[in-house]
Amino acid sequence: MPNGLRHNLYIMSRIAQKDLLDFWKAKMLFATFMVMPLLMMSMFGFMFPATTATSNPYKNAPIAMVMEDEGSFAINFADQFKEIATSTATFKVKDFPSFNSARDEILTGGIKGVVVIPAGFTEALDSRRQSVVLITADDTNPQMGSIIYSEAASIVRVISDNLGRSIISKMGNTGDPSFVTEPITVERMNLIGSRTNQFEFLAPGFMALTVVMGTLTGLGAAISREKEQGTMDGIMVAPVSRNAIVAGKMIAQTVRGLIQGFLILGLSMLLFGVQVYGSPLLMVVVMLLGVASFAGIGLIVTSLAPEQETAQMMMMLLQFPMMFLSGLLFPMDQLPGWLQWVGKALPLYYAADALRKVIVLSASLNQIYMDVVVLVLYSFATLGVAIPIFNKAMTR
Amino acid sequence: MSWVRETRNQIGNGASGGQPGDRVRVTLATTTFAAILDSRVINWLRLVAVTSPGRVRVPDGELMEPIITTHSLTKKFGDFVAVDHIDLEIMKGEIFGFLGPNGAGKSTTIRMLTTLSEPTEGTAEVSGFDVRTQADEVRRRIGLVAEKIILYPRLTAVENLMFFGELYGMSRTELKPKINELLEMVRLESFKDIPTGGYSSGMRQRLNIVRGLLHDPEILFLDEPTALLDPQSVRFVRDLVKELNANGKTIILTTHIMEEADELSHTVGIIDHGKMVAVDETAFLKGKYKCETLEEVFLELTGRTLRDSASSHVPMRRTMGRI
Repeated sequence: MPNGLRHNLYIMSRIAQKDLLDFWKAKMLFATFMVMPLLMMSMFGFMFPATTATSNPYKNAPIAMVMEDEGSFAINFADQFKEIATSTATFKVKDFPSFNSARDEILTGGIKGVVVIPAGFTEALDSRRQSVVLITADDTNPQMGSIIYSEAASIVRVISDNLGRSIISKMGNTGDPSFVTEPITVERMNLIGSRTNQFEFLAPGFMALTVVMGTLTGLGAAISREKEQGTMDGIMVAPVSRNAIVAGKMIAQTVRGLIQGFLILGLSMLLFGVQVYGSPLLMVVVMLLGVASFAGIGLIVTSLAPEQETAQMMMMLLQFPMMFLSGLLFPMDQLPGWLQWVGKALPLYYAADALRKVIVLSASLNQIYMDVVVLVLYSFATLGVAIPIFNKAMTR
Repeated sequence: MSWVRETRNQIGNGASGGQPGDRVRVTLATTTFAAILDSRVINWLRLVAVTSPGRVRVPDGELMEPIITTHSLTKKFGDFVAVDHIDLEIMKGEIFGFLGPNGAGKSTTIRMLTTLSEPTEGTAEVSGFDVRTQADEVRRRIGLVAEKIILYPRLTAVENLMFFGELYGMSRTELKPKINELLEMVRLESFKDIPTGGYSSGMRQRLNIVRGLLHDPEILFLDEPTALLDPQSVRFVRDLVKELNANGKTIILTTHIMEEADELSHTVGIIDHGKMVAVDETAFLKGKYKCETLEEVFLELTGRTLRDSASSHVPMRRTMGRI
């Protein structure tokens, strides 16, 4: 190895080491850095729960049962409903005398929904007609409302199916009553081993976000802080290559980002049951590419911003749309077409997409090669522009 | 002695008589005349140029040789000319007091000489190397003690010094005894494992100076080394500067404290509005302008007007490089 290169590599590693030591010594900062990903994951995980019926975030939600009919079928139905609700921990059912009293309770926030067994429920069934159960949910939170509704409706369906089967058996049909009540049914077959988990969607996205954003904002902050406090002059006045300085800072930020990224993954596995199916090595490769694709942008912003505070605000400005447009928190397909194009112009989309495929679907390198190619091109293009701008800004 | 200077003035400026910045022009003139004068005359002129009266304090028998030379050194920030075609010569082994009002171009000149800022025009040679094309060679030979303390507050003295020493390619085994020796010199050995953020201003500045000395530079740039320090620390730093100079280091000292410049410098250079208005031995300047103190000379040359308006001309981009 030529001497100059070895020296540069050495300087690079020393700058990275120094930055990490400095960071390690800032205990509060370090603690915040560790708590942050955990907090973000749980917040977003519970805020945007999976909409599949299998996972209901509103466990034991209080709802009201209003019986306007006192017939045998009504009582039987109410008992079965409560039993299923309690055994599946879906609802905590309270009896209310009238719909209006239950409605008032929704307004004060005491309950989340109402199941009404209307008058004539038993009579209809007795006279061999279809009967109706009314379900109301607190619609001020539409997402919760629809979950409450679908959960309650599925309990009703179970009771109804059971009733149907018993009626068919009584009719003397020797075959499977399900053949009549539900001739075709659905079973979910997952792409991956276990059942899907919203966190499995979120975790890779958050890993990508933390690593990439940590580098973007961290690099900018680290450089502008050193410029402001004057220590950058101490480094620049030494016989070291400018690229080695930038590279050293990048390494330190990347190491920080990777620690945080794997912390998120570890916690998601531990706390939220996320399973990793892909290769950890490939995950690191993808994250490093994500970092490289953003480092240039970070450097350009740092070079343009007159001081640290502005640099941070500029990073925030970049960070926010990227967070929401790169398909990290919800699938990209939910966005209107033009916004999808904006999102796809951002490298974070490709980093998150590749990482998700590796973690959840155990994709191999040649299955994510398109993402990798885009990230590599992005890295070269942005760093190619950024390094001369940065060097010029530093010797101004 | 005065005949020497008179002769130099005549060579440098024709019949115009003594003007601030004489010494500088002499060398330039030497070069210009070189083409037409007999070589013996040139040698005589060189001798005259280097044996100026300001040199008496420099170790005996050693002929002056410039260690820093600038030609038309200029720095512009947009339309603002911060440093305006400066020709300067700083001699090896001297303490050069670099003075000037706020915003006169001191820091920008220092930044160019220390390779931190690229000149817009002109050249500068430090220790024989061009600041632009041989920056790393220059960097190896200079130490910078800037106005802002160059230390990481969360790291200890040893960690700071190790880091900065390693930037100069020094190994840890090489650095260890060096660091101990330097810490002892500034009496900080018992605080070496404490984060520097907890140091007093005086301790921090002493450590800051030591940081600039780790790689044993030929030239030490000291930018206001005693600003904001208590009298004890000021005395310590000034004595340290003298000691370092006595041990052979060329020192470029920037300060606003005229007594300090008077006490320490062999030569002072006064810059104003980006131009050198005087470069000479302090005693000579006092005599020339019939002033008792260097402060009077300074005010005589740079005027008494406050310089508050200067900074508003500076475009925002200028702050970037300085931050």
